[in-house]
Amino acid sequence: MHEEDRLDLELHRRLGSGDRAAFEDLYRRYAPPAYALALRVTGQDALAQEVVHDSFLALWRTPEAYDAARGPFRTFFLSLVHHRAVDAVRREERLRKRAERASNLEPRTGEDVADEIVEDAYLVERRREIREALQTLPPDQRRVVELAYFGGYTQARIAEELGIPVGTVKTRTLAAMRKLRRALYRED
Amino acid sequence: MVNGEHERIEELLAGYALLALSGEDAIEADRLLSEHVPSCPMCRDTLAGFQSVAGELALAPSPVAPPELMLPRLRRQLEHVSGRRRRATLVAAAAGVIALVTLSGLSMSLASRASKAEHAKVQLSDFVGTLQQPGASSVSLTSMDRSSPGMVEVSGPGFERMYIVGRDVPEPAPGHAYQLWLGSGGTFVPVGDMFLPEDGLVYIRLTFDPRPYDEILITEEAIGSRMSAPSRDGHVWHASLTGAA
Ligand SMILES: [Zn+2]
Repeated sequence: MHEEDRLDLELHRRLGSGDRAAFEDLYRRYAPPAYALALRVTGQDALAQEVVHDSFLALWRTPEAYDAARGPFRTFFLSLVHHRAVDAVRREERLRKRAERASNLEPRTGEDVADEIVEDAYLVERRREIREALQTLPPDQRRVVELAYFGGYTQARIAEELGIPVGTVKTRTLAAMRKLRRALYRED
Repeated sequence: MVNGEHERIEELLAGYALLALSGEDAIEADRLLSEHVPSCPMCRDTLAGFQSVAGELALAPSPVAPPELMLPRLRRQLEHVSGRRRRATLVAAAAGVIALVTLSGLSMSLASRASKAEHAKVQLSDFVGTLQQPGASSVSLTSMDRSSPGMVEVSGPGFERMYIVGRDVPEPAPGHAYQLWLGSGGTFVPVGDMFLPEDGLVYIRLTFDPRPYDEILITEEAIGSRMSAPSRDGHVWHASLTGAA
């Protein structure tokens, strides 16, 4: 286990006894990536704020939702944020058809200027590996993964959007996920 | 199970890990997750692997500092929601209330990953379970124009939740949706997202203590409008909360 994952684990353990300092440490660590993710998925500041706020509150209320046996705290918590962001964006979609949604998939200008954010080297390094893994995917495969994950689109919707059969979306998704898995968890 | 079939299952698990399934695929995945995956080491491994990948993807966007007010707002709320350790103290700030609201049932919850029918079942049992708790009380929200059926609100002392349930709720006018308001001494604050009935059904679960408020209002508002006060133009439901707590 990585040293940083171990530290998260310890902070998480302290949440169980209502330790607010531990909560704030986890906030400092994960609020920026959580907010970036929620922004990318929802494309709206207010919605992204609600998602991140609610996610941290949920963590405080029910820390036991995380099971250390199932992987690092980081992936658990950011998955929770992702879940809520996709939920929020689909809820919103029912109210307001957003024609300009697709533009949100591209990083917002300025998003890459990570000003004032001092992140642990470990997170920076992991981000680089993840981006690299995404970049090595054939564009067709990368597109379906990005539309699903960062766009909150269902596979049916992606098929519609790209004008291809759902079966093709599924095949590309599986191929992409297999490659990503190999790239991110290679034995080294 | 033959290999070709596993390929198909893997496809579903990949879509599932990305939260991208809908319709028949989502139902099929739910079935697999309860019937096949738990007893198949290969599928368990695949699912865990894909879910880890999904968790890692979360880190891809460059970090963005959240608004500075977020942490202070969270701090204030930690006081009120020290988990189940101290239950249901009052929520002080209206701004906090808004963020705590969860709207479910109007869109399929991704949390349960269940089919629509199954999800409705979960909600219903949640609702009925609350009704059966000691101290639970229900209040009828009456339609102001009396042409629409009423809705019912359930809450109780010490509850962290309040439910609003309605059926045969009419569709709002085009470009409009419903908005819930909580009132205290004649001043109303909009709470949560706007919502639409789904097949006439409304199911709202609020996670906070409604006791500081004395009135509930549901109004029809233009989508995207800046709401400063409840509109009385469309359908309106109303209930008084005094005496309910
Ligand atoms: Zn299997």
